Parts: sequence; structure tokens; C-alpha cells
Amino acid sequence: MRMGHKRLRFVGLIAVAMVLVVACGSSGGGTPAKTFKIGLVTDTGGLNDKSFNHLADVGLEKAKTDFKIQGDVKESKTGADYIPNLTDFASKNYDLVIGVGFLMQQAVGTVSGTFPNIHFAIIDGAGTDANGVDLKHSNVVSLFFKEQDAGAMVGAMAGWLEKNGKSKKNQHVIGAVGGVSIPPVNHYIAGYKWAAKMEDPSIKVLVGYSNNFNDPAKCKSVAKAQIDQQADIVFQVAGGCGLGALQQAGQSGVYGIGVDADQKDADPSVIASALKKVDVATYTAIHNVVQGQFQGGALTFSIANEGAGYAVDNFDLPADLKAELDKVQGQIKSGALTPPADIPA
Amino acid sequence: MPLGSVLFAFVVGALICLVTGANPVDAYSGLLCGGIGIACAQGENSALQISNTIVFLTPLITTGVAVALPFRAGLFNIGAEGQLIAGAIACTAIGVKFSGLPSPILLPMVLLGGMAAGALWAGIAGLLKATVGAHEVVTTIMLNYVAQWLLRYLIIGGPLQLREGTSTSLPIGHGARLPTLLPSDNSLIIFGLPASVYRVHTGLLIALAAAAIFAFLLWRTSFGYEIRAVGQSQKAARYAGISVRRTIILTMLIAGAFAGLAGAIQVAGVDHNLTDMYFSDTTGFDAIAVALLGLGSAVGIVVASLLFGALHAGGSIMQSDAGISSNLVLVLQALILFSIAANFVGAIRRGLPFGRASAELPPELPPAAGLMSEAAVPPPEPT
Amino acid sequence: MSALGDVGQLLLTANLWQAVLAAAVLLLLPALGGVISERSGVVNIAMEGMMLTGAFFAVVADLAWHNAWLATAVAIIAGGLIASIHAVVSIQFRADQIVSGIAINIFAAGLTVFLVNRIYGLQDIGHIGPTEGLPYIDIHGLDQIPFFGKVLFQQNVVVYLALILLVGIHILLFRTRLGLRIRAVGEHPQAADTAGINVFLIRYSAVISSGLLSGLAGAFLAIGVSNTFVPNMTDGRGYIALAAVIFGKWTPFGAFIACLIFGLGQAIYDNNSTIHISPYLLSMLPYILTLVILAGLVGRSTPPAHDGLPYVPGSE
Repeated sequence: MRMGHKRLRFVGLIAVAMVLVVACGSSGGGTPAKTFKIGLVTDTGGLNDKSFNHLADVGLEKAKTDFKIQGDVKESKTGADYIPNLTDFASKNYDLVIGVGFLMQQAVGTVSGTFPNIHFAIIDGAGTDANGVDLKHSNVVSLFFKEQDAGAMVGAMAGWLEKNGKSKKNQHVIGAVGGVSIPPVNHYIAGYKWAAKMEDPSIKVLVGYSNNFNDPAKCKSVAKAQIDQQADIVFQVAGGCGLGALQQAGQSGVYGIGVDADQKDADPSVIASALKKVDVATYTAIHNVVQGQFQGGALTFSIANEGAGYAVDNFDLPADLKAELDKVQGQIKSGALTPPADIPA
Repeated sequence: MPLGSVLFAFVVGALICLVTGANPVDAYSGLLCGGIGIACAQGENSALQISNTIVFLTPLITTGVAVALPFRAGLFNIGAEGQLIAGAIACTAIGVKFSGLPSPILLPMVLLGGMAAGALWAGIAGLLKATVGAHEVVTTIMLNYVAQWLLRYLIIGGPLQLREGTSTSLPIGHGARLPTLLPSDNSLIIFGLPASVYRVHTGLLIALAAAAIFAFLLWRTSFGYEIRAVGQSQKAARYAGISVRRTIILTMLIAGAFAGLAGAIQVAGVDHNLTDMYFSDTTGFDAIAVALLGLGSAVGIVVASLLFGALHAGGSIMQSDAGISSNLVLVLQALILFSIAANFVGAIRRGLPFGRASAELPPELPPAAGLMSEAAVPPPEPT
Repeated sequence: MSALGDVGQLLLTANLWQAVLAAAVLLLLPALGGVISERSGVVNIAMEGMMLTGAFFAVVADLAWHNAWLATAVAIIAGGLIASIHAVVSIQFRADQIVSGIAINIFAAGLTVFLVNRIYGLQDIGHIGPTEGLPYIDIHGLDQIPFFGKVLFQQNVVVYLALILLVGIHILLFRTRLGLRIRAVGEHPQAADTAGINVFLIRYSAVISSGLLSGLAGAFLAIGVSNTFVPNMTDGRGYIALAAVIFGKWTPFGAFIACLIFGLGQAIYDNNSTIHISPYLLSMLPYILTLVILAGLVGRSTPPAHDGLPYVPGSE
């Protein structure tokens, strides 16, 4: 059914008027504003993954306290749940449907095509077709992260410590324990290795994978193998599995570096964490919808907009290291330095 | 009896909810809504819920058959998951390699290819069982892991990978895809939603046909008689001139073909490519419960698939509407299994399958025993 | 093949074998439980679920009371409790033991995450402090022995305990009257019953013992090797342990050798930072190895004659 032009224009006028009324209402605080409905779909890691699903939920909860929204969550038990879970929220006219994780790209691509009037956000990905090509639906916002920025900051820290003999063994060997070799993991490791080499050209960066995201014992033994090869700083990029790597660092008396969230509580050996602010991204996406500022396309969270970064944890940062890190951060921010997305040789 | 088991599970599930401070009424109305589209609290679309349930139950029917058939021969196929993955891999490989072929040629190719791969995967376990007596529970579990890692190898860095940096395969050709029952058209509105949300595909018909073939094979063919004879007593079957080895191998081959078909249908009907999601798929394990709940009959398997499909679909509505973790569904599924298993005795008394007829007759082996060695050879003494 | 050469080099290091033993013990504890249970005639594929339950309750208890030993006791009891469900369903109700085992595994996977969600909600479940977990203890003096000191005497306390249990359970099964009774119940329950052995009591005790051992394994995984609970953190170890039981021909030492082989596969894989082999193909290796060994290298494995058969008093 196509509406006539006149009628369409009329509807448009009403819509504009309504927006104005709503806007006035909310600024005046008189009339009750609409309750926005936000749906969050986790990937198969579930809410307690100690990684990005959890952080996305943290962002949703924060938004719940700040805005008048109804936030509902669905945990995907298998990959086959992605499409039905996204579709359910969309069919109920949710104001924003958020998919967490790049494994959901194709599902978001499909469902956003079916519901062109529903707004979607996807963390770590875009709405794609089966060929992995971004469909660029105008109702989808991709929330990308420059994990390599965060990786570069902790990599610079690790490289500086090795170069200046301030680490535990100072053999110019550091390690990174990845979950599965997929882009969001490898971006972190790419920045880490690149920046460590920039600080300490003689450094050797051991990169291993546990092939797992939820079994700490697996990452622990990968970390142990690296420490046995003289690594004295271990960067975990494996969600719940990687907690084992941090614990091994503590047991072996070397340094650990956390990932995604600030993991200073995971083990006293954690000297820093590479931050990927999935909570900020989720909150931002919700904020934009609530403020009527939703825009399709991509939002990239990086050091430049403080959507990625690092935290110094159980460690007294020497002043000259602090100065070095500030310099690197400034250069990444200004674009003078660009950490690579692919792991350098 | 199965109805009682299900009821029991829901009662215990409700108690678990109450103890942990969740409202069981909310939980179950969420499940009802997501499962069969009634009692919806948040204005969910009923047709959509039913459609989702059907999409979930389709592969459960064929994998349920893949578990039920070996049961009848006293074999426990825990490997339906690995066989399903093998089928999905073969379907994808063929569908990608020959993506240009037209549907009448390519579609049978991918489905048969999936069946062949599943048969091969199960056949390894059958062969090992029949020749060296290797415990098929263990071999099929091992084969599940091998299939999972093979899948990851193929789509992450391996020959089926879409391109560097992805963990999906290339998409299969259009000729390899099973059509949906409703047109996949976003502008067509059916039951208030765009038609493409209803993903029910012709694989459902194939699955139902597979269930019918299972019943026919088991009850109307001489091979079906052999399967049942071997399942009742290998010794007696041997006296009756049945080759137990041949029956075991053939049974596993056929079962694997059914599970492989499920994988092929899932790729051809729903996903159209192979993704890492198959790594965490649980259809082949749910199928064990489906086969037991369905008492190994074709109709029973279809009904049990409906229940498990509905539970699966219902979990996500329960979580978003009532805020109760969809993991409750796993708890319910386990409880259903317990109560069916524990009720076996009652079922056996009434002459239903799986067990001893009575204390006086020679024992009819339940699956767990049947899969063990047929002769009571004393175990090796420790050295 | 430089990768093969690298593996060869690796095999000569004490570090590798230290990791092999640690990985093997995570499998050995549930496998020992499996041996006892199956020797008494009850098939047990529920070690996965019992271990996961143990892991969960170990973390909950340790976070509450900050005492690893108390938490381990809780985990062991939790494992025993969930095993008693398997015992009741499969011994009392004569249910199919494999079905019951699978149900236990599904139940544990669902219940633990459901409870995490209900107890902790959005909060992170939290971490056990470094001094509040099961400790790693170097045995003074012995740990200085070249090579073997590192492999055998620089381990977690549970590793030592597991090795003691290994010997103890072997002696129990094959050198004591109780062991004879357990095996008799698994082989000829009717004859054992006639001889005055309480078949049900033996089977109940055996199944519950397997839960206690798996619960201990869960505690080791969660508050020894790791310091928190992650959903599904057992990652299929219970199933591998089952394979080890059969692979090891239902004997404690046989199962231990199988666990060492799996541990070796894992430990070699863990060196993928320096040895570049396709991680996915390498991950398959232990499973393929099991298949090959089941296919012929160890010959036909024969379970206890009445393994998997419910006992009906007065039958036969």
C-alpha cells in the first residue's frame, strides 16, 4: 500500500509536530515521556562470560538508571538462536535491538532487512549478507572498536618495561594468549606486538591460542608454556579462559595484563588492562536512540574518543613510563601513530 | 507415561524457580508463549513463535531418528552431533564447489552428500564396534570432537573459509537451498509481519518423510526385524542366522545418514553457510532425549521434537519477558530425561520397548547394557 | 619437519611433563570415579556434570568463607549429592544408566548457570584471592631432584592427593575384600547377592564415590587451577575421563596412562606459541589417537560383565 504524496506530507507534518511536543515535554519535564524499549541479544557466551556480553549488559543497566527505558535481555544458547532472538524484539517494535558479537553479523543483516523501521546496533560487526559484505542498511549502526589501540598501549608498556630492565626476568620475551584466532582477538594482539616492538626492537612476542573462551585451565597452560620460554609479561585476550593466564602470571611471579574490562581484581599480578568499552558503546547507542539521534552506519570506538584505552592496575607506574605512555597515547589520538589491525610478522 | 514424565519435570522445575526466588507462572507462560504462541505477555506474534518452534524441531526429528534406530539394535549413538556436523560440512562443501548448478541437480547432491558424510562418520563407530568391539559411546563421543575441530579448521584458515579474518564458510549456491514454505518476501505481510520472518522450510517435509521411512524400515522390512532381533538378544539373533556384525554396521550407517541429513537440511534450509555456530550446536544431544521421550516410534519422535523445539524457542521469550535465565530450559530437559528414564520400569511392564519383559524371561538388554560387550567375558586381571 | 623437531625438543623438558601431569590429574580424578562406578556395574558418563557442579559450589563456598579446604569439602559433597541422583535413578529405578548420566550432565550445565544468574545477577561472580585457593606446594628437598623434582614435586596439592588416591583405589579394588565385592557385584550381581553381599549398598557407594572424586576434580579446576567459575568451564573433561576409563580397561593405572596421553596432547598443544602446527588439527589429535587405540592397539576392551545392567533381586 502506497500512500498518496499529500497524505504522506500530512503524516510527516504530524510526526514533526509530535517530535516537537515530545521534545518540549521532556525538557519541561511535564508530560510523561515515552518508555523506550531496548532489547539485548547476547552471543552463545551468555551474560556471565566475563567479557563483552557482560559489558554490554553493564551498559544496558547503566542506561536503565539514566533514561526511561525498558531493557530486556536474551541469551543465545546456540547460534541458531540469533535470528529468532533478534526477530522477536524487532517484531515487538523495540526501539533498539542490540546484537553482541561479530558472530551475529549475518543474523543482524538478515533481520534488519526484514524490519527496515526498527533500529539495530551490533557490537564488533556490521549487518552483512552470507558473503560477509556489509549490507549498509540505514537502520543498523555498527559499533566497532579499535582493539589495536588498547593493545598498543599495553604493548608499549610491556615493551618499555623489557627495554628498561624493569620487568621480572628481562629476557626481552613477552607473551599473548588469544582465545580463537578471530579478528576481535587478533586486533588486540596486533597492537600489542606492534607497540612492544616499537619500544623494544629486540623483543620477542610469543602469540598462542587456547582455542577456547571459557576454560581457564587451558589458557593457564598456554601462558605457562610461554613463561617457560622466558616470557615475563602475559597479555590475555581470551575472555573467561584468559583469567587462567593471569593467574599463572601471578603464580610464576611475572606480570599479567587483562583485557576488555579492568581486571585488576582477577589477580594481584595484573599490572594493566587493555580496555574495550563495550559498555560505553552500548550506552552510547541507547543514548542516541533515546535522544532521537540514531544514525545508521558505523561508530568506531578508539583511543581518540575514549572508547578504547588502558588502565594501570596493581602497579606503580614509573614517571618516565607514564610520560612515554602519554606520548604514545597522544600520537595515536592525533593519528601520528596508527596501530595495525593485523598481527605484524 | 511420557506425559507424566513431562508433568513431573515441570513440577520440579517450578519448585526450583520458587526456591531461587523466580516466579514459575511467569516462567511457564514465557515458555508457552515462545513455544506455541499462547499466553504471551508482551504482545508477541503467535505465528512467529510457532514458526520458530518448527524451525527448531525440524533437525530434531531426523537426529531423533538417528538415535532411536540404533537404540533398537542395542546401540547408543551419542554421536548424532558429530554426524550432523559432518553432514553440514559435506552439504556446504558440495553447495559451494558446485554453486552454479541448478536446483534439481544440486539440491539432491547436497542432501545426499550430507547423508553420505553422516553415514561415514557413524560408520566408523559401527565398524569399530562390529570388528574390534570398541564401545560406541566412546567412539562416537570422540568422533563428535573430531567433527567439531574439523569444522573449525575448515572455516578458520582452512579451505572453506570465506576470506582471511572470518570464521564462516562461503555461502552455498542458490540451487542448493531448500525453499521456505512461505515466500521470503519482506513486502508481503502475513499475520501482521513480513513473510520472511517465517523461516519454516521444506526441510520439515523431508524430516517428516524421514520419520515415516524410519517407521517403515523398522516395522515393515526384514532388515528392521534384524535390527530389533539384535537389540533384543545378540545371541538369539545369531542363532536365528542374523549377521550381528552386518546389522550393527548397517544400522550405524543408516543412523548416521539421518543425522547427516539433519545437518544438510539445516545448512540448505536455514543458514546457507557453515559458521562457528555449529561448534556449539546441541541438536544431537537433544536428540537423545527426543528419541527416549518418543519411545522410539516415529510419531513419538515427532511429538517429542515438538516439545523440545518448543522448549528451545520458549526459553528466549521466558528470559526477555520474565527475566528468568533461559538455562532453566536445560534444567527442565534434564528433569524430563530423568523421569522418563526412571519410569522405564513401568513402561517395560506394559510391554513397551527398552528393557526386560519380566524377571523370568531372559533379560532383554536396555541400551546401556546392549552397548557393552555381548558376552560375559571376565574383565582382565590387573597386572 | 622443523615442527616435529621442536616437539621432540619439547618432550625432553621438565616443564612439559609438569604440565602433562597437571592436565592429566584433572582427568584422572573423574576417571578414577568412573572406574569404581563401572566396576560395580553402573555405567557413569555423568562425571562431566558432577565435576561442573563441584566447580561451581567450590567457588561459591570459597567466596563466602575464604577457606579453600572448606570449599573443597563443599564441592566434594555437592558432587556426591548429584551422583546420588544418578544412583537413585539408575540403581533404584533401574533406569537406563547412560540416559541418566546424560541427564545429569545437562542438569548440571543448566543449573549452574541458572544459579549464577540468580545468585550473582549482573555482578561478576568474583575471584578467589591468591592465598585462598588450593595451594601449589613444592615438596621440600624432593623438588630439587633434577627433572623429576619439577615434574613430580612442584605441583598443586590436589596432584599429590590424586596420585595417592590412584594407588589407594588400585589397592582397594584389587587387594582388599571390599574391592573383590565391588568387582563381584559388577560381574555377577546375582552370585554376589547369594553370597550375602548387599548389591545395592555397594553400587550406591560406588556411584556416590565417583561423585565425590568428580567433585574434588571440580574444586581443583575452579579454585586450584583457576580462581573463579566460568560457565561450562569443565569443557568436556568428564567425557574424556570416560574415554580414559575404557581406554584403560577399567583399571586405575590403565586410566591414568590414558589421562597422561590426553594430558600430553594438551601440553604439546599449549606450546602453539612457539611450535606452529594447525591448532585445529592438533586439537583433534588426542581424539583420533583414542579412536586408533580403541581400534586395535590395545585390543578389545571388555567391561565388567554386568556394567550397565540394573540389578533386579531374584532374577536369573
